Amino acid sequence: MTDRIISSSAALAEALHEEMQRDETIFIMGEDLVSHAGVFGQFKGLPEHFPGRIIDTPISEACIAGCGVGAALTGMRPIVDFHFSDFVTCGMDELCNQAAKIRYMSGGQVKLPVVFWCPDGAGLRAAAQHSQSLESWFVHMPGLKVVVPSEPSDVKGLIKSAVRDDNPVMFFQHKKLFAREGPVSEDDYLIPLGRAAVKKEGKDVTLLCYGAGYYLCEEAAEKLAGEKIDAEIVDLRTLKPLDMETIAASIAKTHRAVIVHEACLTGGFGAELAARIQDELFDELDAPVKRVGARDVPIPFSPAMEDFVLPRADDVAAAVHAVTYR
Amino acid sequence: MAQEIKIPKLGLTMTDAILASWLVPAGAQVTEDQIICAIETDKVSFEVPAPCEGLLHPVVEAGRRVEVGERVGYIAVDEAELSTLQEAVPVAGTGPAEGKSDDFCQPREKGEAGEPPVSAASAPRVEKRGGDRIVASPAARKLSQATGVELCDIEGTGPGGRIILADVEAFTEAARAERDATRYNFGSAVPETDLLTAAETVPIRGIRKIISKNMKLSLSSQAQLTLHTEASAADLKALRTVFNARLEDDHPRVSYNTIIVKATAVALRLYPMLNASVDGHQIKVWDQIHIGVAMDFGQGLVVPKIRNTDTKSILDIAGELSDLARRAEKKRLFPDELSGGTFTITNLGGWDIDHFSPIVNFPESAILGVGRIMEKPWVQEGRVIADLRIPLSLTFDHRIIDGALAAQFLKALKDRLEDTRLML
Amino acid sequence: MAENRKKLLELYRQMVTVRQFETMAGEYFAAGKIPGFIHLSIGQEASSVGVCSCLRPDDYVITTHRGHGHMIAKGADLKRMVAELFGKKDGYCKGKGGSMHIADYSIGILGANGVVAGGLPIITGAGLSIKMRKTDQVAVCFFGDGATNRGPVHEAMNMASIWKLPILFVVENNQWASTTPLEYACSVEDLYVRAAGYNIPGEQVDGNDILAVQKAAEKAVIRARAGEGPTFIENKTYRIKGHYEGDPQKYRTDSEIKKWQDKKDPINRFSRVLFKKRVLSKKIVDQIWSEVQTALNEAITFAENSPFPQPEDAMADLYINS
Repeated sequence: MTDRIISSSAALAEALHEEMQRDETIFIMGEDLVSHAGVFGQFKGLPEHFPGRIIDTPISEACIAGCGVGAALTGMRPIVDFHFSDFVTCGMDELCNQAAKIRYMSGGQVKLPVVFWCPDGAGLRAAAQHSQSLESWFVHMPGLKVVVPSEPSDVKGLIKSAVRDDNPVMFFQHKKLFAREGPVSEDDYLIPLGRAAVKKEGKDVTLLCYGAGYYLCEEAAEKLAGEKIDAEIVDLRTLKPLDMETIAASIAKTHRAVIVHEACLTGGFGAELAARIQDELFDELDAPVKRVGARDVPIPFSPAMEDFVLPRADDVAAAVHAVTYR
Repeated sequence: MAQEIKIPKLGLTMTDAILASWLVPAGAQVTEDQIICAIETDKVSFEVPAPCEGLLHPVVEAGRRVEVGERVGYIAVDEAELSTLQEAVPVAGTGPAEGKSDDFCQPREKGEAGEPPVSAASAPRVEKRGGDRIVASPAARKLSQATGVELCDIEGTGPGGRIILADVEAFTEAARAERDATRYNFGSAVPETDLLTAAETVPIRGIRKIISKNMKLSLSSQAQLTLHTEASAADLKALRTVFNARLEDDHPRVSYNTIIVKATAVALRLYPMLNASVDGHQIKVWDQIHIGVAMDFGQGLVVPKIRNTDTKSILDIAGELSDLARRAEKKRLFPDELSGGTFTITNLGGWDIDHFSPIVNFPESAILGVGRIMEKPWVQEGRVIADLRIPLSLTFDHRIIDGALAAQFLKALKDRLEDTRLML
Repeated sequence: MAENRKKLLELYRQMVTVRQFETMAGEYFAAGKIPGFIHLSIGQEASSVGVCSCLRPDDYVITTHRGHGHMIAKGADLKRMVAELFGKKDGYCKGKGGSMHIADYSIGILGANGVVAGGLPIITGAGLSIKMRKTDQVAVCFFGDGATNRGPVHEAMNMASIWKLPILFVVENNQWASTTPLEYACSVEDLYVRAAGYNIPGEQVDGNDILAVQKAAEKAVIRARAGEGPTFIENKTYRIKGHYEGDPQKYRTDSEIKKWQDKKDPINRFSRVLFKKRVLSKKIVDQIWSEVQTALNEAITFAENSPFPQPEDAMADLYINS
């Protein structure tokens, strides 16, 4: 089958269409889903095709999340739309104390096939409560899986795997990337959770990224190529489980790593990854591991300030320069 | 206002040097241009003159590696300023650097305990990187362990002098050759006896280290062979006389060497394979002819070169040779003048040597040894005459230059010395 | 009539089982045999047994940190319960959950929950699932008076109401939220009135009268199975024991506790009724208590003989390979 150029939104809708067709226990619940096929139009076509399986809810994030847990415990495969990933704060008990722990606390009696779908990220002038990237919180939570795709083809392959997974999965998609297009196969394909992709091969430095960070790296790598710095881009795609094998292979080749994410720097996933790299790949390193992330402030509203706070491709290039000395 | 003493940039590629020694004690009065300290790069020793008159206040101790442009001391205008400076920046130890033993850098093989540590000369460099610790990236450490290279022998090019992977990689081959050369030529030569005591123990470093490395590399990597011949120097002498008779008093004299350099350049144009180097699996026959002339003023052999020798007149060459010799004696040659030669001439005639076997100045492929010019009985057309004779010895790399070709080159040179008009 | 007698005796036996189990748990906790902390529902047996008596094995129950009674009443295995309290390998959760997290998904116990009100959003999901799967199951969530002040309770009641989910919200109003009395922490004296705000039928029941509880629950279950939506039942009762075993209980007096013992004790009250109906006799009482004790002793022996888990077993059961 051939690839078409479609958006991340379309890739998501297509993947869910295929999955809901395949398995009638799958349903989607969340706020404002039916009339606009999702607040970002991300479920286009689904309400018409699957009436009663795209469910509008009251504004009750805790209960929506808990419903996902309860439905998953009783034979369904719910997808919970969090509206904006920022609102996970309203459902933290359901995500962290319930979803993440129920299987473990019960001694493995039960499976919990639920996807928490969270549109995240900044750049839309949406200010501090609608722009966050909170993935690292959930990486810190044993029992959850965390997926952060970048390109449309990843969205399709990963959401299908997430939906089929019998564990609770946090699925973060960047709002600004919904419209971003890329080649997506018409095939019914899966991308296994926990497998990173080497999106560009290089020999001088490894750029470790996910989500919107991937596009920063892509842009930076192009610039760096002009300076004869050959960057390798590893798109992690899944943060938990983490594909350390691919990361290790890349760093064993380049001996240098720069971690790029849009989430703010302190306590971000980059901190965890840098720690693991220095621990597991110490002897491969020829330079300190650098991190690129947003500045440690809430996302401000006014465009100039928001742009200032968010990481840019130039920041990635600067971090690369800092480790590719000589 | 005190003037700073900074490390000069002596060549395009120079980034740092070892501050070998302070030649004037701290606090001493110096005059402008008085030599106050010596620095060494991997190519050259150089003496740094005082930028102005005043009192010396050194702030970097001898033995340290210093960056180009780094401030190593001050010249204070008077005692008051000197004491202010002394309070602000403590004076560094002067005097030559001592090779220090270093726990991080013992000789690797225990069986060779009698051998002087190869790393002795680099101990100060270790010190510079923060006390007794060598700063190196984990990957560099791993490779150094795997390859058996001592980190303290390596010059770090990362931030703050950190040794990074590429430094180890670059060092590995060269370092091995150098260390082996040092080990075999010097280390193992010490007899195991207490009947001998060393009157002096001289660390092999600086220019001596460079010479030993190059000599060893030359002999170990090439197939060297020397041809000997002799030429009449009568015409050479006549030409020299003609030139010098017409020179202004202040113009450098034309020496035998001057004309030999010129004649060699002409002969090299005829036999370009003598003006070549081996680069991996290739022979690079050079476009340019840069003839180096070996000089020794008692501080070690140096070979400054005359760039594009073949394009220069005898008077130009005379002028350049004179300038190079003057600066070589004062240790004021630049690194760029000491590298990149394509052929070397060495003359031991001044010490009554006739024929000898010079060692090729690696990575060049041939070297001309010139001996004592003297009158000898010579049979010419059945008659014995007194002729002025000059011995010529050509050592060449037989890997790339066949014996016949070398002989033809030497013959061409001999012809041009015997009849200097052929140089035209 | 014989059928009815059997049912009544079974209710009595269940209440005794819960009482005996928890009495045992208190003793073993005091003896240091049970790690961590446990919360007992002694004095609230009419609520757990009364409600669960109306349920089928495929109905769902979610309970709280004070959930031994609901488990037993829903049919949990005493052996595996005791083993779990002891932190043993053969416990319901292989020692990973303890008293507060016992679950048995095979009989619809979706777990005790250590977070106050944590079960309500989950039971709503179970209710939604029932509705989507078009079965006639019901889902019951037990919670305490303290939980009714938490936000998710209100989100859950609202959502269950708008979707007419087959849910029983059963608040066991034992009048104490940990150390805080209801009259201080709740804006209303009667909790059932809160249901009206979500258009859910709310009923207050004498929570120590098992037949009253059963009657209310029966009505609610019928309504739920008929697809008419959720019911809110307030079982008014009293927590005889402290919040946790070992609670110094400085917040209340002995005389207050005494008022709810003896005459008001739900087991005593029910046995008086059964004696009157001649369902129960001294002999039967002794027989039931002794049989329960025997079963409990077996469970204790089972738990004591069960090995502790290996330390590294801690790493198992987190993710399932799909």
